[in-house]
Amino acid sequence: MAISNVIFRFILISMFGVSTIFTINAQGHGPLYGLQTPTLAKGGVDLNVAGMSLSTEDETSYMLRYLFSYGITENLQINLTTPTMIERLDNAPRTRGNSNMPANGDIEASLWYRFHSNAFGVGKRFESTAILSVSAPTEDVRGQVNVGNSVHGAVSTGYASRTWYGWIGGGYQYYFERNGEQLGDLPYASVVVGYRPDIFMGDYPKPDWRIFMETLAEFPGDNQYPGQQDLTGSRSKKVLMGPSFLGLYGAWGVSFGALFPVVQDLTPSAVKENYRVSINLSYWL
Amino acid sequence: MIMAILGSFSSKAQIQKVDQEVYGMDCAPCAYGLERGLKKMDGLKNVRVSLNDGKAYLELSENNSLSLKLIQDEVKRNGFSAKKAEVVIEGKLINKNGSFELETGTETYSIVAGTSDDLNSKLKPGTITLKGVVQDEGDGSLSGTWQIKLTGIL
Repeated sequence: MAISNVIFRFILISMFGVSTIFTINAQGHGPLYGLQTPTLAKGGVDLNVAGMSLSTEDETSYMLRYLFSYGITENLQINLTTPTMIERLDNAPRTRGNSNMPANGDIEASLWYRFHSNAFGVGKRFESTAILSVSAPTEDVRGQVNVGNSVHGAVSTGYASRTWYGWIGGGYQYYFERNGEQLGDLPYASVVVGYRPDIFMGDYPKPDWRIFMETLAEFPGDNQYPGQQDLTGSRSKKVLMGPSFLGLYGAWGVSFGALFPVVQDLTPSAVKENYRVSINLSYWL
Repeated sequence: MIMAILGSFSSKAQIQKVDQEVYGMDCAPCAYGLERGLKKMDGLKNVRVSLNDGKAYLELSENNSLSLKLIQDEVKRNGFSAKKAEVVIEGKLINKNGSFELETGTETYSIVAGTSDDLNSKLKPGTITLKGVVQDEGDGSLSGTWQIKLTGIL
């Protein structure tokens, strides 16, 4: 393993260690796939376990993923997510996974900074959050390409109320070159609309359910190999849509959903997707 | 003797009840987090959080040392905005140049215009229990000095 990789993983683990020193509390939750804005309360801790699957025309991946989040302040949140890969893809499409998790075997640490928040009514707020992530792979090769570390940045803005929700955001992930090879980068954008029916408008502590319609647009670049001609301008274009559901009860949350491709304008080396499904269990300490 | 007088004052002067308006709280974990944060504070007898009302209802125990600022700070720590609060407070009423202020030892509540003439005429300096609506001071400028519009004298 390269020394830079060891250092990178040390930083990730250190961030995790520091964040566990503090006390605990709780807060908010949003869509499954799209970028969102809520951050934890100051001192709040959120634990997530997710099951994720991505199916292409050739194969299907299965992964468990764990996410630990801590609210440094009410507007600044640190996250660490690690995977257990059950079945990897030989030829994996470049994508993010759930809204705050990679879809592949990366260990990722991220900072969420809610730089704007306007609570303007009972249950209503308008807010914007910036995300900065670093990740290190758990495998040496992904889809016949050496996997390097990566950085990821995103911005999202959204509206939440007791009935309607909406988020829009965009992000970019860049993989560093490793031994002359480089995974393609990933610009992406997401739009989410959410609704809670009257039947689920019971007051706390009654269960709280809401439904989201999520749309994800991705523009993954092709992988780069030694001696390959510059294909920087060559990108696939994908749009995926699907429903997700979020149920909340006290300190527990469960969300599940699926995305299906509605547009796949792919480069010759990109693989066609069939669907993505995911389930996520949350617990706020 | 001075300590005894001060001790007697601080044990009597206190908030007894707060219905705190909270903006921006939209989900069950939001309410759970706020409820849990408030319950960790010493001096609370009962806490209830309502998402539909957008309020935290607090009953405080006798001889508590809580302040409205501490309560609103906890709301802010949870990422929400604390607005108006309906309160019942026992404190020392002081007449300052024709304007009344209620002091609790840690906070001062200035009685603002809008209080009915009937209530104003009943105000007398000394220990008193008042009911009223504390105006929103903005989350960034909580100082322990408040404006209150009286709705009753208990």
